[in-house]
Amino acid sequence: MTRLLYGLAGLGGLLALLEAVPRLGLVDERFLPPASLILSTLGAQLAAPQLWIALGETMGGWALGLAMAFCAAVVAGVVIGIVPGLRALTNSTIEFLRPIPSVALVPLATLLFGPSLGSTLMLVVYAAFWQVLIQVLYGVAAVDAVAYDTARSYGLSAWSRVRHLVWPTALPYVMTGLRLAAAVAFILAVTAELVIGSPGLGAEIQVAQSSGAVPTVYALIVVAGVVGIAVNAAVRLLERRVLAWHPAVRSEVAA
Amino acid sequence: MRRALIVFAALLVTAACGGTQPAAPGQQASGGMSKVNAGVIAIVDTAPIHLGKAKGFFTEQKIDLTITSVPGGAASISGAVSGQFQFAFANTTSLLTAKQQGLDVKVVANGVSSTGQQGKDFSAVLVKPDSPIKTAKDLAGKKISVNQLKNIGDTTVRASVRNAGGDPTGIEFVELPFPDAPAALQSGQVDAIWVVEPFVSQAISQGARPVAWNFADAAPNLTVAMYFTTSRTDADLTSRFTAAMRKSLEYADEHPDEVREVLKTYTKIAPEVIAKINLPKWPVEVNKASVQTVADLALADGVLKEKIDVSALVP
Repeated sequence: MTRLLYGLAGLGGLLALLEAVPRLGLVDERFLPPASLILSTLGAQLAAPQLWIALGETMGGWALGLAMAFCAAVVAGVVIGIVPGLRALTNSTIEFLRPIPSVALVPLATLLFGPSLGSTLMLVVYAAFWQVLIQVLYGVAAVDAVAYDTARSYGLSAWSRVRHLVWPTALPYVMTGLRLAAAVAFILAVTAELVIGSPGLGAEIQVAQSSGAVPTVYALIVVAGVVGIAVNAAVRLLERRVLAWHPAVRSEVAA
Repeated sequence: MRRALIVFAALLVTAACGGTQPAAPGQQASGGMSKVNAGVIAIVDTAPIHLGKAKGFFTEQKIDLTITSVPGGAASISGAVSGQFQFAFANTTSLLTAKQQGLDVKVVANGVSSTGQQGKDFSAVLVKPDSPIKTAKDLAGKKISVNQLKNIGDTTVRASVRNAGGDPTGIEFVELPFPDAPAALQSGQVDAIWVVEPFVSQAISQGARPVAWNFADAAPNLTVAMYFTTSRTDADLTSRFTAAMRKSLEYADEHPDEVREVLKTYTKIAPEVIAKINLPKWPVEVNKASVQTVADLALADGVLKEKIDVSALVP
């Protein structure tokens, strides 16, 4: 309860600061409108269907991209993790590709897909894939060697081993990967829209910017921030439910 | 707990499979309508295509028009060349540069033109109220922002300075997006900014002072931007698009009040700004002489590498 109060007080303080800074003339009001103006613009935006359509497009691109990246990364991660030698074989490639920032693919995406969902997906999938893959690889590597050998010597099939041993061990890592990927995917979805012009929230921000509608730009940024928080909260909730049996989560609940 | 994961996975997979591909572009749809995707920047200049669509000028020509907003001319050219757009909008210099690079572009309709009037155009060079720069001649040797280097901005600003008797060779151009330029001017990062509407009106209402109307200076009734296509688009569709576009241009030029209304639908320019911005002109015909002038100026400034015969671009 007190945590909530502190949280609200912190937010209130931020709003008061955002209201005061332009009003006092510390920053030019034309470039940073006061919080009250931003919020009233936001209210007007929320009443119009355009924002909701754009938000739907952003979330569609986010979900689709995340799904593709997640499925591909889990399958690839488990296969690389359990097939002997494959980890060593792919390590250098993964370490080479992983650090390439997804935004560096903007020119390529523009060329291949232009301002469309395809560009969003390309950036989102690339960014989210590595987040999940690395976690899955760690998760598979964390499987207890004795347990694995025991499972083998008892003649469990490869599928049974994955199903009953590898997957439960890796699941907490997978969920961490999903949580990281969900946040990164959202960032990249908005970036693609903003830079390439794929339809969605980012494109709305871009149009507002090129229209010189400064309060609208800030209002849309607030929307993006709120959605980002919601995405993170939703994935955390999912994580807690999926891992309800896991000691790490159980102790968190008990505390 | 496990069920939650299964449900989530199912949702993700459904989302993954449910993503519908957009219809193949330029194909005949039901009822003999051609689906057309046009890449257009969401700025004042492109009001006619939005107005023409709303007025049904494209439907008349059996064109089912989708207008896709692109962030700039580079995106519209790459989008058209890669086949995503059948038609697109780009400024004169961008098209000349594309042609020089051997890209398959050809103009199908006029886009937007300067009003040619000092003080009443949609593009200007502005300075701070207390700046020592009084005329275009004083811009020589100064630091001026343009939204894109080696494009129509620096070419026409140089023309303004040259016309006023100054030497444009010493000007330092810096790249700044239009929305960021007024702040940069105020904080003194640059001596002058080149902007187009709505930023001209905004900056002037906030005290900035225009010293040059560069589009009006560069050539009489300068054609600033044009609609174009590639050789892939079939001739019949092109002629129908051209017809619809010509009607849209003519209508927009004659109905400035409706233009101001349509601006509220696809831009986010504040209504009070829309009411007072200087609208450009939308003549039906491309002013080929002005395009040639831009090509020659760009060649003289080294923006273009060789002389371009404008008839190859504008039929």
